[in-house]
Amino acid sequence: MKRGILTVILFCFIVSCAACADDNGNTLDEATSEFFAMNTYISVTVYGKDADNTVKSARDRITELERLWSVTDENSEIYAVNHSDGKMITVSEDTAELIAFALRMAERTNGALEPTIYPVLRAWGFTTGENRVPQESEIKELLNMVGYDKVRQNGNEIQILNNMMLDLGAVGKGYAGDEIAELLKENGITSALIDLGGNIQLLGTKPDGSNWRIGLKDPEGAGNVGILSVSDCAIVTSGNYERYFTASDGTVYGHIIDPVTGYPVNNDLLSVTVIAKEGKICDALSTSLFVMGVQKAEAHWRQYQDFDMILITKSGEIHITEGIKDNFSLDVNHGNMKVGVIEV
Amino acid sequence: MNVKKLAELSILTGIALIIFVVELQIPNPFPIPGIKLGLANIITVYALYHYRAKEVMTMVFIRIFLASVLGGNMMAFIYSFFGSVFCLTGMLLLKRFIDEKHLWIASVFGAVLHNMGQITAAIFIMGTGVIVYLPFLLVSGCIAGAFTGWIAQIAVHRIKGNDAKQK
Amino acid sequence: MKNKVLIGICIAIFLIGVIGSALVLFAPHGTKVNIVQDGAVLYTFDLSVTEDQTLEIEYNGRTNIVQIENGKIRVVEADCPDKTCIRMGWLETGSLPIVCLPNHLSIEFADEREDLDAVIK
Ligand SMILES: [Zn+2]
Repeated sequence: MKRGILTVILFCFIVSCAACADDNGNTLDEATSEFFAMNTYISVTVYGKDADNTVKSARDRITELERLWSVTDENSEIYAVNHSDGKMITVSEDTAELIAFALRMAERTNGALEPTIYPVLRAWGFTTGENRVPQESEIKELLNMVGYDKVRQNGNEIQILNNMMLDLGAVGKGYAGDEIAELLKENGITSALIDLGGNIQLLGTKPDGSNWRIGLKDPEGAGNVGILSVSDCAIVTSGNYERYFTASDGTVYGHIIDPVTGYPVNNDLLSVTVIAKEGKICDALSTSLFVMGVQKAEAHWRQYQDFDMILITKSGEIHITEGIKDNFSLDVNHGNMKVGVIEV
Repeated sequence: MNVKKLAELSILTGIALIIFVVELQIPNPFPIPGIKLGLANIITVYALYHYRAKEVMTMVFIRIFLASVLGGNMMAFIYSFFGSVFCLTGMLLLKRFIDEKHLWIASVFGAVLHNMGQITAAIFIMGTGVIVYLPFLLVSGCIAGAFTGWIAQIAVHRIKGNDAKQK
Repeated sequence: MKNKVLIGICIAIFLIGVIGSALVLFAPHGTKVNIVQDGAVLYTFDLSVTEDQTLEIEYNGRTNIVQIENGKIRVVEADCPDKTCIRMGWLETGSLPIVCLPNHLSIEFADEREDLDAVIK
């Protein structure tokens, strides 16, 4: 009998030891850096060995990229291209790669993504904040200077027509996110959250192995439409609710311009959220799918299927692709929104 | 398998089903899914010590299938199936260490393993949240297993007594 | 001897069960609740700020009607054979979820620490 009791005690002991082992596992460093760059508020949170130094190098890298791509900074490479008077300009590896990517995505989306829309955007005042409604003739004139097919690229050499302007804003943040994620990975970081002004880039899972919980902001009101529970991916939302102005006649104009009309997009969509492995894909697609509208966006997904998306329509519907539907949960205060799954 | 054995196994399956249906009528005081006395287990424990492994397995799987049909709850089949696979595997191994006089010990292990199988199935179907039921099922498994095992032990004793008298 | 060891293990399992049950029953919980179907979170909300309402949750043509009232939640009607989900009453004890096995439904308190990590804008 004594033996029996001993066994019981021993057994309990072993079980309780097994239960504690989890808590005493090696703890990871956590480091966060928050700063302003690329016209937005950026926050990088990193878990792992030597988190402090890694976060610092991530910040340096973003500042470096910003210096290359700023449209307004006179020392940037993009500035040089935009003020080249039609001459060939040699740019760095990073810039060349980003331009090549932007042109590829412009082609893929039939110009819904338009990296040369800047002159029109400027006419509407979205680059300075001094908003105005341009004359129709002015827009027509400006649209002559727009067209990704007029950009010549040969490796690191870029040439655009005189008066044309290149703006990589729609893909730059996504590209930067990818670069940071890559840099962190090289430094042995397995868990990180990069928030580039609402563009989210996730490296791995949370340190405890669970998915990151990311709120999807309601484009029309306060709070979140729902929550995405995901890991190791990037998420970007585009919509005209972010930046807009109301003209004197009461019309609301948003900051995403339809490259065909030169007017702010006004279709059946409120917002497009794209979830994919790469931030630059998310960034490029969220803008261009928003320009396309519900039908074309869904057709685009069916054709490529290399990303997932959540469309929020003006009629209060949520269209979500089948690959991500199990990771999305609707906020109960938005229970009146109809959720539909987009299938192949 | 000879006719006599086939008849015996069929009768056992029948008895198990009757016990199952009777138990369905007893209101369950615990509003926790998975917790029940599992009286039909008496038959399984008894059979385990008197028939070959293959025979017991066939019997159990036929029983849980029919029980799910009778109970009108096909979802229950998946849970019972997982539970039975765990339970039978464990008991067949333990049978070597535990003699028939201590049937109730084997029955406790059987019941606990059955509950673990159910939880495993539930985790696959419902997500990991249901694991918090495990402690409750462990407690109920121990009590229910000991009880059904004890009854099986008495039954075995009586049957043996009868056999002896007949001879 | 062998039997004593085995009985010892039985008792150990029983004790672990009792301790575990106590931990589950008395576990602190917050006000955030997830409604989970087939392992996927359907709804998530904070009971302390959610208005009274009833939700209809469907699974293969069968429904569970979930009621939220005065910051509490329960299943009031269900098309399942066993009705265990209804008998479990209000969701209140620690981390023990209300589950409806036939309809693959589970209503559970969410981990309070599991607040949002970020918001997409
Ligand atoms: Zn139910």
